[in-house]
Amino acid sequence: MSRIGQAISEIQTLESVSREDRWMNRIHPLSKLCLTVFYIVLTVSFSKYDLAGLFSMILYPAIAFMTADLSVRDAFRRLRAVLALVAVMGIANPFFDRTAILSFGAFTVTGGIVSMISLFMKAVFTVFAAYLLIATTPMDDICYALRLLFVPRILVTLLLLVYRYLTMLMKEAGRVTDAYLLRAPGQKGIHFRAWGPLAGQMLLRSADFAGVLYESMLLRGFTGEFRPTFRHSLKASDLLWPLGWASVLILLKLFPLVSVLGRLVTGNWN
Amino acid sequence: MHMADALVSPAVAGVMAAASATAAVVSVYKVSQEDNRKKIPLMGVMGAFVFAAQMINFTIPGTGSSGHLCGGMMLSALLGPWAGFLSMIAVLLIQCLFFADGGLLALGCNIWNMAFYGCFLGSLLIWRPIMKNGASRLKILIASVVGCVVTLQLGAFSVVLETLVSGITELPFGVFAAAMQPIHLAIGLVEGLITAAVLIFVYEARPELLWGIDTQKENRMPIGATFGVLGGAAAVIGGGLSLLASSLPDGLEWAIGRVAGVEELESAGTGAYAAAESVQESLSFLPDYAFKGSESVLGTTVSGIVGALLVLALLICVAFIIRAFRKKQQASTEE
Amino acid sequence: MNDLMIESRDLRFAYEKGTDVLTDVSFSLAEGEKVGLIGRNGAGKSTLLKLLVGLELPNTGTLRIRGIPVERKTLSEIRRMIGYVFQDSDSQLFMTTVEEDVAFAPRNYGFSEEEVEKRVTDALEKVRIPHLRKKSVYKLSGGEKKLASLATILSMTPDIILLDEPTVTLDPGNRSNLIRLLNGLDCSLFIASHDLDFIWDTCSRVLILSEGRIVCEGPSEEILRNGDLLRKNGLELPLSLIQRDRCK
Repeated sequence: MSRIGQAISEIQTLESVSREDRWMNRIHPLSKLCLTVFYIVLTVSFSKYDLAGLFSMILYPAIAFMTADLSVRDAFRRLRAVLALVAVMGIANPFFDRTAILSFGAFTVTGGIVSMISLFMKAVFTVFAAYLLIATTPMDDICYALRLLFVPRILVTLLLLVYRYLTMLMKEAGRVTDAYLLRAPGQKGIHFRAWGPLAGQMLLRSADFAGVLYESMLLRGFTGEFRPTFRHSLKASDLLWPLGWASVLILLKLFPLVSVLGRLVTGNWN
Repeated sequence: MHMADALVSPAVAGVMAAASATAAVVSVYKVSQEDNRKKIPLMGVMGAFVFAAQMINFTIPGTGSSGHLCGGMMLSALLGPWAGFLSMIAVLLIQCLFFADGGLLALGCNIWNMAFYGCFLGSLLIWRPIMKNGASRLKILIASVVGCVVTLQLGAFSVVLETLVSGITELPFGVFAAAMQPIHLAIGLVEGLITAAVLIFVYEARPELLWGIDTQKENRMPIGATFGVLGGAAAVIGGGLSLLASSLPDGLEWAIGRVAGVEELESAGTGAYAAAESVQESLSFLPDYAFKGSESVLGTTVSGIVGALLVLALLICVAFIIRAFRKKQQASTEE
Repeated sequence: MNDLMIESRDLRFAYEKGTDVLTDVSFSLAEGEKVGLIGRNGAGKSTLLKLLVGLELPNTGTLRIRGIPVERKTLSEIRRMIGYVFQDSDSQLFMTTVEEDVAFAPRNYGFSEEEVEKRVTDALEKVRIPHLRKKSVYKLSGGEKKLASLATILSMTPDIILLDEPTVTLDPGNRSNLIRLLNGLDCSLFIASHDLDFIWDTCSRVLILSEGRIVCEGPSEEILRNGDLLRKNGLELPLSLIQRDRCK
């Protein structure tokens, strides 16, 4: 599938998953948004050598994924977007930080290897946490939560508009490139002579469309902003879910679950 | 150039989010002062257009590779700096939520690196001065290329600074910058040419769609004031970042400190956070990054691995419980 | 009380000076009446619709909606009485879900949330798509989009609905469904289209617009059977009439 086709299908999958009527999807968007940000802050604040502590942070995404019944495969696929930069920096670490920490015979574990692993773990955990939010919360609910956080109306209106017309314009971009490539066999992209006209025509059509869109909004009483609403009433789980997790996560940060469990079993308390 | 959450420390993310939020608040104020309701659907659709057009592959002549449109320059040339900046924020937030392009926590950094330079520097200091006495094809070409190159260089340099200050990478500053800047010089040139091609087309077909090329004189910010605003912002950011840099144990300092046998620098943070940190460090895997003889390190490692396995086992149990629970629920709804 | 819904006298309009798009357009629309506006591409149909809702203001002539003149200061009053279904449903449906979109106008007009809820339910039931309520707009098919657009207008409970080329993107099934729905509405309809079969099935009276002038006006029965008149204006007899004649 082309890059555009893939992006469209990703948005559409997320859109349907997030609108399913499930327990996690019904939780108040503000709770989920706050919990997500809290989790990400806590996760990235672990020291780069604290693998054990960082590992315990797997509890939230793992259990929440099961609760929400989401596809781990889809979440892993999203990693490719951030992988390039993370990989460059992570892989550089073993070369620049060669302090030996541990050796098994010929194999030596260096500080750089540990910090590389912790960087990858952080990348996976944070991407998974963000996926949990967006896969259980439709865009209008996120916008509603943003309004509750005093994000200006105009910005929320823009978010809704960009989101609404993104798929439409991506489909158009796909059609335009397909039509171009069907008449340009052997080319992989748009030849430089067509750069301006191809994207420019599309831009002019979009600008005209925006004009008609404005008229259609005006005729239905548009006053300069949208008003996102959330039609569920507040439930106990709206508070219990984020607060429960927040306390577990704080405990995990204070109390190194992984090493204590390990020491209990191996009896090694030095 | 999108930064993931894993690449920033909370403190750096916080400083950059505050900086971007300040620019956003000023932009919201400026746009609402324009009081042009017609502009809002245009901002939304143009944001979506730039997002979609960035997915089109433009072939670079003479090479096998392809380039894309530059969002920040494009949007500010169409909408002006303030409205363009707000549209870019919407685009970046949607990229981060739906495509995991950049992280939620790193959003402030990404807005700064990609939207701030492109929209404000690119349009106020490059685009507008060049278009001062009327536009032409050549002027648009120059403004787009210079704008894209300069803003991408600044963006890439900010990525380097933000990651280094966050203490994420062991890459020395020089190596990192030497890798990032030339790559982004090439990308900037290509993006500039593509953006110029599109803007020249628009200029010839519908010049009134472009910002800052004719009747913008009345609400023009004097160049001195523009420099003042940008200089002030730079000072705030620079100051904030250097304070952070000095208080955080970043990779290099940590290495130097250890080699010299100096006590480890105190980790940033106060109160509960610092207490939590110290409790944890005293207990966890590789405490204080010190080595009390390889045997004990081996022991801790073994117990760390065993602990991790136990956590995994626990997760598998939870998975079974949840599955059983769901089956039961399904059975009861089917009845 | 004026029972004329639309009253237009000698309307003249030009986008650029000297090239009139509409010239001396006079017509009226009574309460509950369903009127078709036909003519070739570029005859000025869409422009006339825009004038009726005040998206453009006439250069000369008078235009009254339920007796209120269409002027800059009466626009908000006018627009509450008159709904406009755009040709391109994507410009009509700009919110994320059908429900949000249908609720857009009532919410802007300041109705309480309960009233908004009620209006959304009513409108969706009128066009028989209550099952699409929670669906995202861009997952709708072309036919569903058209019905949803109509619902976004019905939730304002307008007295008059203008439709611009409503059948362009519809398949035959959706088209006859739309005909049934429109015939079931009790407000006035003003439909611009060159789908003459559709006009035949929905409208009792027809106006022919040619080069900005209304060249002919009369009952559908009369005008839509006049092959010569239609051909002269770039149109053709409705297919259903041709077939009926053949059967005879």
